[in-house]
Amino acid sequence: MPDLYIFKAQVGMFDPVALQDQNVAIHFGEKVYYRKVDFLEAIPPFQCIDLGALAALTPSGKINITNLEMADNEFGLFRWYPIDDAQIRFYHPAGVAKYQLRNLQVPVDMNILFRDPNLVSTEIAVWQNNHPAAEAVNGHAFGLGGVRIVTLGFRFHTQDLAKGKAVNDALVAALKSGKEPCTHVWCSGRPIGD
Amino acid sequence: MLLANKEGIVVTGPVVNMLAATAANAVVVFSVPVLANQLVGVKSVKVLKVHLFNNAGGNTWIFLGSGIAGVGIPVLMPAFTSMNNLEDVYDNLPEVESFANITAWPAALAALGTIDIQLEVAIIG
Repeated sequence: MPDLYIFKAQVGMFDPVALQDQNVAIHFGEKVYYRKVDFLEAIPPFQCIDLGALAALTPSGKINITNLEMADNEFGLFRWYPIDDAQIRFYHPAGVAKYQLRNLQVPVDMNILFRDPNLVSTEIAVWQNNHPAAEAVNGHAFGLGGVRIVTLGFRFHTQDLAKGKAVNDALVAALKSGKEPCTHVWCSGRPIGD
Repeated sequence: MLLANKEGIVVTGPVVNMLAATAANAVVVFSVPVLANQLVGVKSVKVLKVHLFNNAGGNTWIFLGSGIAGVGIPVLMPAFTSMNNLEDVYDNLPEVESFANITAWPAALAALGTIDIQLEVAIIG
């Protein structure tokens, strides 16, 4: 849709990437799923995980964020920020580094709240049960009692246009060729060099 | 939950008990995050608030400096008054930024007296 797209910046809550009966192309790894949204709702800000207490100058292990898993046929659109002063390295899905540059995996810390108040740059989409993971690093000379992450976003239920009750081969062909509009949603990171 | 504002991330340091006077006995009261295990980031700190409690240390002054403890530590800002057996809290301080650990020391101390100090700082970077 022309005015609904990923990484949209605005004041306050962000927009959903698709509305009722609109089409999406869900990218997961090398796969693309053409689907139609038949339900959506907002997810208010909530604490999706506490990565746990962290001793001074210590990194945590990588911890799966299973609370961000979605049900079958659903994808979630999330933005997030930490509420404790650790740097967070994000993985999505759990085996793929997110925010990856050639020489650096960019971490996120509490500064994101005033450097990117809309949290645009943290936006991720989660396809079904392909959960992200995160690890935290405490740079302080004192321990942290917890490293908590708050997430907000949208939940989308979709129908498969390639098979099943909502199958529509002509529409899928039109979406693939670009004759009909759809929003592309990337539900995974991608390893560099891939 | 800690606070994030345009000044940086606000955190508090530990309560440190100062047992001895003069710069030669300066103690670290806030350590700049060194990010030894992190990928990026050089951090600095601005002192926002100083909380003192004088435990029979006598009327004296407290200095804040930077660098390792010892003689000749650069003083970050003018001294803070600490009155015998009283609590003193200072804020609205000059936005002095330090890339080194913050140290503190009393100008003098009464025999067997000590002074507790705690800082609130903004982490920049």
